[in-house]
Amino acid sequence: MQRKRNLMRSDRLGYVVGGMALIVWALRRPSVARAGAGAVGGWLLYQAYTGSNPIFRPLGIRVNPQPAVPDVAETIVIEEAITISRPRLEVYAFWRRPEHLPAITEGEIDITRTTEGEQLAWRAMRGAHMLHFGALEFRDAPGARGTIVAARLEYQPAGGSLGEALARVSGRSPQRLLADNLRRARAILETGEAPTTSGQPTGRR
Amino acid sequence: MRAVCWHDKLDVRVESVPEPRILNPRDAIVRVTATAICGSDLHLYGGFVPGMVKGDILGHEFMGEVVELGAGVRNLAVGDRVVVPFPIACGNCFFCQKAMFSLCENSNPNADMAEKLWGYSPCGIYGYSHLLGGYAGGQAEYARVPYADVGPIKVPEALPDEQVLFLSDILPTGYMAAENCGIQPGDTIAVWGCGPVGLLAIACAQLLGAARVIAIDRFAERLRLAATRLGADTVDYSEESVLEALKELTGGRGPDACIDAVGMEAHAHHSFAYAYDRMKQAMMLESDRPVALREAIMACRSGGTISVAGVYGGLIDKFPAGALMNRSLTIRTGQTHVQRYMRQLLTRIEKGEIDPSFIISHRMKLEQAPAAYRMFRDKQDDCVKVVLTP
Repeated sequence: MQRKRNLMRSDRLGYVVGGMALIVWALRRPSVARAGAGAVGGWLLYQAYTGSNPIFRPLGIRVNPQPAVPDVAETIVIEEAITISRPRLEVYAFWRRPEHLPAITEGEIDITRTTEGEQLAWRAMRGAHMLHFGALEFRDAPGARGTIVAARLEYQPAGGSLGEALARVSGRSPQRLLADNLRRARAILETGEAPTTSGQPTGRR
Repeated sequence: MRAVCWHDKLDVRVESVPEPRILNPRDAIVRVTATAICGSDLHLYGGFVPGMVKGDILGHEFMGEVVELGAGVRNLAVGDRVVVPFPIACGNCFFCQKAMFSLCENSNPNADMAEKLWGYSPCGIYGYSHLLGGYAGGQAEYARVPYADVGPIKVPEALPDEQVLFLSDILPTGYMAAENCGIQPGDTIAVWGCGPVGLLAIACAQLLGAARVIAIDRFAERLRLAATRLGADTVDYSEESVLEALKELTGGRGPDACIDAVGMEAHAHHSFAYAYDRMKQAMMLESDRPVALREAIMACRSGGTISVAGVYGGLIDKFPAGALMNRSLTIRTGQTHVQRYMRQLLTRIEKGEIDPSFIISHRMKLEQAPAAYRMFRDKQDDCVKVVLTP
């Protein structure tokens, strides 16, 4: 997979249409302002060609053009990892329960692959439509520091990369849900409870 | 119950709010008998810390009586008198196991906010913004204490509240600041800021064997306490150049270690650098004013240590990296791992080796908190430390 790609096909199509429109508008009645618009149009075309937008790069958006699942054209990929100070089999057993998997969508969750203590893969479907798929890998942390859990999640966002970028900026993205899921699991496994403040007093009215 | 609520910059109010309840099995509820305003609360009061929400209950220095316990807490009993450490720490995670309690990985439910700003998240802290968990604080009649089986320490009835209250934050903070200096026999330690933490850092540096401590401030009452109570040499930075004074006092070499007990709202007297930082901070081009930190780095002897106890929140400007690198300086810092120090410091208090209550300048009722915050911020009436009782 090309690491640099962060635009989906739908985004690139939009960039081509938008970029061409700006260039045509600039050429119809040339002026300094319109020349600037033309330059922006050229930049959009260039991004459509490379499949990469520099503004999205710091947000960590990555596109997988060839997902390992049939009938899915391309996906956004998220990877997160966490180290949990508990034995590998115990950590695996926690996520073996479907309600503990990171639910970034509301569809039916099927566990598609399990290797005891090592790997767990699932997918979420609504009817015949794939909503997301993901996998957790478990390995011993070096130096007897517990278990490293590596999570990978792929999905097709509404609104393409732009929609995904907006979701990340607003803090409501699947990436955030995945990271929160991992942190919450660590807290439960290590301390027996998840940290919370909901239900505490405030002076808000 | 009554509680001190943050509403806006320079706007705190005492309001009636619901009483806290047990939310997790390892929680306890404490009836607060004494609480203090911390110098770091002034950063919240001044609006310098992001992530405060209208109505947040303030306060991270408090003690009291256990009135309710979650099912998971077995080492405490209702009626126990406890001091609560300000870092909320689980005791189980990688960092807690290494006694770095203020870096607890599990106690901040808003870890992603802190990660965006700081890379990784430290622990949650009572009443210290939603960045650090949004936990309701202890400037109230009652407080909820998470992981009550790890944090609170029981204190003997013989010791009054005023002698043990500061185990919650500033005494361990002063102690860790001094410990981070790696004091060797014969060392001279310079301390920027003679507020409560600075004064206790001076006392702890002496306990740990410093031959001489030089205290830097501009408020006469604070310099007087440093000189007469603790026997420190003093430098009034509104009267003389700190760098020159320190050079002279240390025979041209500089202090072996420097403690920054000031932090992000440092003040300097009629200095261009200070005006520059004020302006950049006002324009939101810089979140913190590092006047004391810069000066501490420049003043420290080559190969020495700068111990940072003052709180910083974001980014600073004009950081003297050249001095740091070329002169082999070490910076040590961190929110205090209070749980690591409480027991040993309680023992020292019991033995009479240290009595931190000498810094208390004002005893007030919780209801007077807004006036207390204003007075503490403006350093009116020789205010050094305010203790509030509900």
